[in-house]
Amino acid sequence: MPAVVELDRISKSYEKKVAVRELSLRIEAGTMFGLLGPNGSGKTSSIRMMVGITMPDSGSVNLLGKPFARESLKQVGYLPEERGLYKKMKVLDQLIFMGELRGLDKGTAGRRAHNWCERLQILEAVDKKTEELSKGMQQKIQFISTLMHDPELIIMDEPFSGLDPVNAVLLQDTLIDLKNAGKAILFSTHRMDQVEKLCDAICLINAGQAVLSGGMREVKSRYERDRVVLQFEGDNSFLQHPAIAEYKDYSGHVEIKLKPHADAQSLLREAIEKAKIYKFELVEPSLEEIFIQTVGEKVDA
Amino acid sequence: MRDIWLIAKREYLEQIRGKAFKVTTILIPVVFVSIFSISFFASKNSGSGKHITIAANDPALAARVRDQLLTDKDARMIVDVIAPAADSVRQQLLTEVDEKQLDGFLWLTTESDGSKASATYAAHASGDFATTARLSDAVDHAVVQQRLTAHGIAAGDVEALTSDVKIHTEQVKNGKEVSSNAFGTFWAAYIMAFLLSFTVVMYGMNVGRSVIQEKTSRIFEVMLATVKPGDMLAGKLIGIGAVGLSQLAIWAIAAAIFSGSALAASLMSGGLKIQVSGAEIALFAIYFLLGYALYSALFAGLAATCDTEQELQQYAPLAAVPIWLSFGMITFIVSNPNSALSVAISMFPPCAPITMFLRIASQFPPLWQIALSLAIMAVSVYIVIWLSSRIYRIGILMYGKRATIPEMLRWLRYS
Repeated sequence: MPAVVELDRISKSYEKKVAVRELSLRIEAGTMFGLLGPNGSGKTSSIRMMVGITMPDSGSVNLLGKPFARESLKQVGYLPEERGLYKKMKVLDQLIFMGELRGLDKGTAGRRAHNWCERLQILEAVDKKTEELSKGMQQKIQFISTLMHDPELIIMDEPFSGLDPVNAVLLQDTLIDLKNAGKAILFSTHRMDQVEKLCDAICLINAGQAVLSGGMREVKSRYERDRVVLQFEGDNSFLQHPAIAEYKDYSGHVEIKLKPHADAQSLLREAIEKAKIYKFELVEPSLEEIFIQTVGEKVDA
Repeated sequence: MRDIWLIAKREYLEQIRGKAFKVTTILIPVVFVSIFSISFFASKNSGSGKHITIAANDPALAARVRDQLLTDKDARMIVDVIAPAADSVRQQLLTEVDEKQLDGFLWLTTESDGSKASATYAAHASGDFATTARLSDAVDHAVVQQRLTAHGIAAGDVEALTSDVKIHTEQVKNGKEVSSNAFGTFWAAYIMAFLLSFTVVMYGMNVGRSVIQEKTSRIFEVMLATVKPGDMLAGKLIGIGAVGLSQLAIWAIAAAIFSGSALAASLMSGGLKIQVSGAEIALFAIYFLLGYALYSALFAGLAATCDTEQELQQYAPLAAVPIWLSFGMITFIVSNPNSALSVAISMFPPCAPITMFLRIASQFPPLWQIALSLAIMAVSVYIVIWLSSRIYRIGILMYGKRATIPEMLRWLRYS
């Protein structure tokens, strides 16, 4: 089965600045894909090329198994980071207008708008003008307008920024439902906790280049479990074990960083001999640490 | 095509339902009618109701001047006569003018044989051209009558010899004389040119504002994920242009209803007769559309490079200068509609809608000239739209700073 999105070594420069350099990625149907990177790293530029707002200088974009064509955009829902609504328009009119632009007829657009408003609990707002609504409500409407035409590919640039936790969860759950229904979802963010929870695959870009990409589990498995969190009582002389690179001892609660490829099991054995161990956990690095580590390395290099 | 239609429809409905449309539809005719009535009646009544004194050494001449001044009913002057006047009177008159008991005085001296006369008008206000013209006319008349009488010509003959001849104006159309009211033609031209320039610029700026609003409300990128920038621009131009045509149609219908009413008939009998032909209405619509397309495409392109309406306002002179230029030439064009300069300026696209319209109203220009000016306009509209749509396509995605001219030129090269 062909990928829903396939970017093959796309590049884009503006004036003197290279926004995206030789970026390749694949997004499969039924997956949630996280595009990560610090501010100004080229996330939005990459997304704009995916939806044909700008054209890559080189490389190719395939959507839904075919080379990019505007026709395919009827199958794509795109929520940009810089997003807005027509302030003077009523919510329902606005949703119908957006639906019609994406190829729905007026009746279908109206019905779907109604259903979506019900699902996201904003049915009471449909007859109001956009400018009368709260920011969170406006974001839900933007969210709906992206999904009205039942797209196969959903692209959201920073979808949760500025949402309160209740609504953020509501939208997250909606995205998970859509993923389970077989849609491909790409979202960009710099909130690592969300990515870690939601995404099946990620691509981390920095300065326009992919520095890390792949399935979430696979990416994390590339990094050693080299951290130990330990709680004990008694003699702490095991902290001089050769496997330990550095440690912080908070009287009974210790955070240890191991030397590369060190044997954590031998440390555990020694600890058990010397002290009473309540907890010994070998932790994998969080995505945030990976992010900082990877981007930090590249910045230094 | 469907996208353009949807966008045009949305834009049209939003503006038609908006408060601004209702307000301008009512307010602009009110303002127009007030401005024109004020300037019409002011020009008719300027210098009226003045209180002046004629001081002369010749009582007969002074009386004649007074009679002349009083025959002009519009002037409604109050005229006192002091004759024969001694030099001491002058000081007293000056004091009266200074204390505003008098608007001014006319000092008339004649040689005893009546060969030479000199007149001085001293008034509180300077630049009262209407009163000066009336006085000059009256004095000329009176002096001629006085001299004719002195040569022994009978009073009745003097009256006949010096009576005014009123010029009746006719317009030649298709080799026939058609009774015309030069005054009415001028006012018709003036009103239509004014209305044309006003609506063209108003709706041109309107497009610019609408682009800015979409930019500040960040709706652009949402739209661009499905719609081509060119389609967005086209839909916007068509939608707002349709709003302009609707407003003009409302005014035209209202004017037609009004001119058929009894109230209009009574007003028009006052000499303000306005003639508008069907061809003029059709050309008005064509010049409106082309002028609107020119200015709106220009402002759409410029607006795309700005972030706020205030920034866009800095470009307003681009619209204002051609209009001042056209209006500065209004009397020249109406009186010399076929001079080289009039022809040239009516070919110049930014001025063409107004100036060609003035020519059409005062004397119908050769058809080839109208066709040529329309063709030049159409070509320049095409060029401006081409340039603007390229700037627009890039500019609408740029936030944060206004583009410089070199940047805009670079955008033109992007494919």
